[in-house]
Amino acid sequence: MSAEPLQGLASVGKGQSTRGLLRVIILALIAGAAISSRLFSVIRFESIIHEFDPWFNFRATKYLVANGFYNFWDWFDDRTWHPLGRVTGGTLYPGLMVTSGVIYHALRALTIPVDIRNICVLLAPAFSGLTAWAAYLLTNEMTPSSSAGLLAALFMGIAPGYISRSVAGSYDNEAIAIFLLVFTFYLWIKALKQGSMLWGALCALFYGYMVASWGGYAFITCLLPLHAFVLICMGRYSTRLYVAYTTWYALGTLASMQIPFVGFLPVKTSEHMPALGIFGFLQLLAFLDYVRSAIPSRQFQTFLWLFAGGTFGLGLLGLVIATSAGFIAPWSGRFYSLWDTGYAKIHIPIIASVSEHQPTAWPAFFFDLNMLIWLFPVGVYLCFQQLADEHVFIVVYALFGSYFAGVMVRLMLTLTPVVCVAAAMAVSALLDTYLSAKSPKPQETQAADGSEGKKAVKSGLRSTGKPVVGVYGLWGKSMMVSALAVYLLVFVLHCTWVTSNAYSSPSVVLASRLPDGSQHIIDDYREAYQWLRQNTHEDAKIMSWWDYGYQIGGMADRPTLVDNNTWNNTHIATVGKAMSSREEVSYPIMRQHEVDYVLVVFGGLLGYSGDDINKFLWMVRIAEGIWPDEVSERAFFTPRGEYRVDGEATETMKNSLMYKMSYYNYNNLFPPGQAVDRMRGARLPEVGPNLNTLEEAFTSENWIIRIYKVKDLDNLGRDHASAAAFDRGHKKKKVTKRKGPRVLRVD
Amino acid sequence: MRSLLSVLVFVLAAVVSAISTSGNRLLVILDDVAEKESYSKFLGDLESRGFQLSFENPKSESLALFRLGERSYDHILFFPTKTKGLGPNLTPNLLVDFLNAKGNILVTLSSGVAAPNSLVSLLAELDIQLPADRTGLVVDHFNYDASSAADMHDVLLLPPPTRIRPDVKDFFGAGAGQDEVLVFPRGVGASLGASELLTPILRAPRTAYSYNPKEQGEVVDDLFAAGEQLALVSAFQARNSARLTLVGSAEMLQDKCFEASEVSKADGKKVAGTFNREFAKRVSGWTFNEIGVLRVNWIEHHLEEAGATNESNPKIYRIKNDVKYTISLSEYAWNAWKPFAVPDSDALQLEFSMLSPFHRLPLTLDATHSSDTAAAYSVLFKLPDQHGIFNFKVNYKRPFLSNVEEKNTVSVRHMAHNEWPRSFVISGAWPWIAGVGVTVTGWLAFCALWMFSAPVGAKRETKKTQ
Repeated sequence: MSAEPLQGLASVGKGQSTRGLLRVIILALIAGAAISSRLFSVIRFESIIHEFDPWFNFRATKYLVANGFYNFWDWFDDRTWHPLGRVTGGTLYPGLMVTSGVIYHALRALTIPVDIRNICVLLAPAFSGLTAWAAYLLTNEMTPSSSAGLLAALFMGIAPGYISRSVAGSYDNEAIAIFLLVFTFYLWIKALKQGSMLWGALCALFYGYMVASWGGYAFITCLLPLHAFVLICMGRYSTRLYVAYTTWYALGTLASMQIPFVGFLPVKTSEHMPALGIFGFLQLLAFLDYVRSAIPSRQFQTFLWLFAGGTFGLGLLGLVIATSAGFIAPWSGRFYSLWDTGYAKIHIPIIASVSEHQPTAWPAFFFDLNMLIWLFPVGVYLCFQQLADEHVFIVVYALFGSYFAGVMVRLMLTLTPVVCVAAAMAVSALLDTYLSAKSPKPQETQAADGSEGKKAVKSGLRSTGKPVVGVYGLWGKSMMVSALAVYLLVFVLHCTWVTSNAYSSPSVVLASRLPDGSQHIIDDYREAYQWLRQNTHEDAKIMSWWDYGYQIGGMADRPTLVDNNTWNNTHIATVGKAMSSREEVSYPIMRQHEVDYVLVVFGGLLGYSGDDINKFLWMVRIAEGIWPDEVSERAFFTPRGEYRVDGEATETMKNSLMYKMSYYNYNNLFPPGQAVDRMRGARLPEVGPNLNTLEEAFTSENWIIRIYKVKDLDNLGRDHASAAAFDRGHKKKKVTKRKGPRVLRVD
Repeated sequence: MRSLLSVLVFVLAAVVSAISTSGNRLLVILDDVAEKESYSKFLGDLESRGFQLSFENPKSESLALFRLGERSYDHILFFPTKTKGLGPNLTPNLLVDFLNAKGNILVTLSSGVAAPNSLVSLLAELDIQLPADRTGLVVDHFNYDASSAADMHDVLLLPPPTRIRPDVKDFFGAGAGQDEVLVFPRGVGASLGASELLTPILRAPRTAYSYNPKEQGEVVDDLFAAGEQLALVSAFQARNSARLTLVGSAEMLQDKCFEASEVSKADGKKVAGTFNREFAKRVSGWTFNEIGVLRVNWIEHHLEEAGATNESNPKIYRIKNDVKYTISLSEYAWNAWKPFAVPDSDALQLEFSMLSPFHRLPLTLDATHSSDTAAAYSVLFKLPDQHGIFNFKVNYKRPFLSNVEEKNTVSVRHMAHNEWPRSFVISGAWPWIAGVGVTVTGWLAFCALWMFSAPVGAKRETKKTQ
């Protein structure tokens, strides 16, 4: 290994200003890498909004841009949740839309006309650059080594755990929320270290922004008090902590209450109680601090115990009473499911039905974080070694982040920043140790030993008193460094591969490979939504399972019954009941809700797994939760407990509207008796289902989307079954012999 | 310009045939053109009311109910035909399509002639059952015409029909003389199902029954129907207000039944006159949309609040707004649109509903917006305290009147952030406002006190340490 170039490089970065410039350039490059690695989807497909929730955010942003802020604030959306409507302005986190709106207007003011869609598509990558910068700042607070910050920025920029929610087009709250999360933490550490009101107020400001942006703000609301609490328990109460915390809490809570969706939650719900409790506790501590300086220590001891015990008991009692009396809402279902992963499955099927609320499988950690996951404990260990206030924060964050990430897949997102910070500390510690080319001189070591001798004696342990053993051999160093370099390279490769393969699909457009290797785009979703947009009345109500609500609203611009904002479980259960019941039961429900079209997703022809038959049991479960007498999950399983769609499916299954809509006319694609559902590998019965109350309106190219029109009531007052039978040419059978008493007409 | 022209054409057309609200092309189906002589008065009445009659044999090749997807005729009148089927141009499916296309049908039967299969299955779809052997004969041993059916008792003499319910306008029997009778010779009685679209116009008397004349037994063992369950003339009105009337006896429309001199009651009394001609006119007039046709002229709703702009039919209201809803209705009677008057025992109601009605309010006559041809009904009410997508619904469906089902959708939004009363208006908020004021002034006062009270002792101490 040649030491000269390395030393030359090091000498370039010797001067303070050169270093600063280099740092800026490196950060800019990292931001560039972060942004460009998120552009796979735009390059592969097009500039399109992804998935489900982003479509709503996009629609809301368009509304904001078109109608102005106050109309957005008071927006009553009559095109979702028909016929209930949604007070959208008061039930969303406006931060994301307002951010895009501000950028849009700022660019327009600079006479740069940009389509609002492009702003929305590229917002997440842009903010990922900022997140990298925030991670750099946060890490710099932890360690004096400046390389740690740059490494953290790099990790943050390309870690798949974060990319999963921030590729171009993934226009979701998380797109800006992660930046705000990391930046708020940075400001908190800053405020805590300096005991500065200014930094505390800035922290509160960004906390307010975070509250405006994402429901995950509760993570900050719980983590900061926890950090404060741990510090207090460690006996590290200080006026710095007092100033930082009280400033943050008072201003931050006020800021958070300005968001209509949050409103009075910070003083009402259990999730926010720890922050309030610690706030009170800090006041008490400050008071005690003052008392201690005023009275003798002996008396103070008894005073302290009585006082602390009394207040704690009273506070706890008050909390319990307030909760049981209903002043403070108990923990919400989503929070219970954080403690008990089985809770949602039993009590709230609608939460359990979302795949991203499932517990994380362990390979996901390696998939999303790769080598960071094993560097992470090292970083935490290094924090323990120093254990200043800010290191305690990392430890606490690491503990909680890991737990939550293990419970819910999507909370991997909140774990990623701390993993990046800790791993960067570990890597930089390694590099700092092994990358310095000069060998330690024995004398120097001795001298260093001598100077530190007093300290060593203090600690009393003999082993610590031994001289520090340095790494002398260049060979060993270079081995270590090159191994790390290989790891880092593999990490970059892995991140790029994961981003390109797993996280860059818009999921609106499906890509597949033809036998010759060329790419084949399956565009059924957009085909169907475009059909709806062009062939149905502007106010035609579309009933579908809630997954597709936002997309129908965004792409087809038609009113829907339920959508991904699952605020009304009963309404969703109503749709579930309509889907899982017989036609005769479903039809009145659809009439009552003025449904014009029903949309189902069917993957049987293509072998597409995310279709409605696979989600069907959730519909049944959710409907059963509301109408246990009318819908029964058991009835959809065969006596042997199998969920089948072929000839041996249960009668309830075969008669359900969902089954009928999925397989209607499917037989005609195949030779008689050969119909096969490729998704479930089931051979379907020879005679397909019959639909009386619906008529097929549209089926997309690959049969993924099927749309049915709901028939009007029969003009002649017959029921639909007999009307359909008449149309098919079956004459009504004459009632020659009636059984039982005559039914007389009473007028 | 184009629309103006079409309106002009429409008006001219209306003047020429100002008779039925739904056109004047009447198709008459009969076996033999010679037959129409016996119905000359009835058909003459129809012609004089402006109908263009075209006579066709059911087997005729040129007969087509639809041409290029449009109806070729507005109404069909079936006289009894001897053929068992009506051929490929009058299949039940075609007739159902005709009804669905708002065409009207008047069917007449006769006990001597088997009803065609096509009509039987059409009627079966409407929930009208005919006797199984298709030659059921209605007899009544108490109310028969002594002069023509002294033995068979199959020419019934009936009083003119009365209104079937107190809230229904009497279209068919109103104004009949005290001793006028309806002659119903050799007819077929039908049994009506429970469908709400069916209404009997003329029911058999309590003593009548239907039997098969081919069975010459002493006792009728399997009775098809008897008494008032036997509908002699019945009306069907589809959801789209297309009408079908079943007249059990074609003979009652014949010229000879229109004459009074030829009938006498069972007890030998001569009858002053028959009501048949007037009844035939009314039944055909009802079937062919000359009476009992309701029209919604316009619907208007607006915000009725002080200081609000009175925009008509806005798309969106706010909760607890005061809103006025007005609907204008006309009724067609033979040749003119008249204001529709709701019967005294009935009410025209407005529903304001989302999933289920939140309000169901009676609409009252609004004289200011009424005219000679239209009556306006209105109601003023406060919207419920519930946001959502609501419908103004008027659902007025009565026997013999065409259906009125009007739905106007509006959104009802929540209070906007600046529509609430300000805090200083609410007296309950005063303590809190005072609290804010006290805190602010107190803090300012404390700051001032802190800043302007020099810490005297501290200065000395610092000097000492220095």
